[in-house]
Amino acid sequence: MPLLFSILEFGSALERWLAQDAATVQAARYAGEIGGDAPELRRFLADELRAAGIDPDRVTIDVAPSRVGWREPVRVSLSSSYPLSIPFLFSTTVPLRSSAISRGEINR
Amino acid sequence: MVLTLVLAPLLLVALAGVLQLGALRVAAARVRAAADLATLVAVNDQDDAELARSGALRLSADAVGVAREYFARELELSSSLLDGAADEIAASADIAAYPSAPAYDARTGARYDRPAVRIVADVPVRTPVFGALVLRPVTTIHVLVVSSPR
Repeated sequence: MPLLFSILEFGSALERWLAQDAATVQAARYAGEIGGDAPELRRFLADELRAAGIDPDRVTIDVAPSRVGWREPVRVSLSSSYPLSIPFLFSTTVPLRSSAISRGEINR
Repeated sequence: MVLTLVLAPLLLVALAGVLQLGALRVAAARVRAAADLATLVAVNDQDDAELARSGALRLSADAVGVAREYFARELELSSSLLDGAADEIAASADIAAYPSAPAYDARTGARYDRPAVRIVADVPVRTPVFGALVLRPVTTIHVLVVSSPR
């Protein structure tokens, strides 16, 4: 039983990691378009995460640097914890981290 | 009891395989995203003088270098999954820019009706569980990405 549940639980964690990665890539692209961190980027990310079944309130978002100019790299990083529970064995949380880099497209 | 003893090793192998396949899927998605973002960054940088003069979209002269640099940067973010240095993998990638259209890709035979940047790369990723199961400890992900400006 624990092994069967492990297969399901780890599969689910990996699926969520993929979804978080995809949202991060889209967010990095958008951050380049708008020149860094902004409320619309946070809203966009929240919508993307929610659509993937991830609670955005439980995801830590970092945009570095927060403001970029033309041709400057901008990095978006997301970090969250996935609660993993294997009956009769253990319960823990698995850290899921995603990052992507884009380039500023606004000539300030 | 006997059934448990027989099934337990099989399920353990299945669990290990699921984890490794999942990790490989994540790695493949990251490699694709890395190449995708790298080509997007490269094609977004237009030749401003040509755009102002004729209104035509034409790639910047350093598009190949930019694509390679950003491919390396993106791969570096997943360096723990790679079997090799990100900059070396990016350096060995076949990256081509087609600054004006129409153009024909000598490698793939594709015709591009807009300026384009194309990346073809073989990215080796670690698959240690497959190695332990007498399969390949390194799996190569082949990626082909083309981007054009609109």
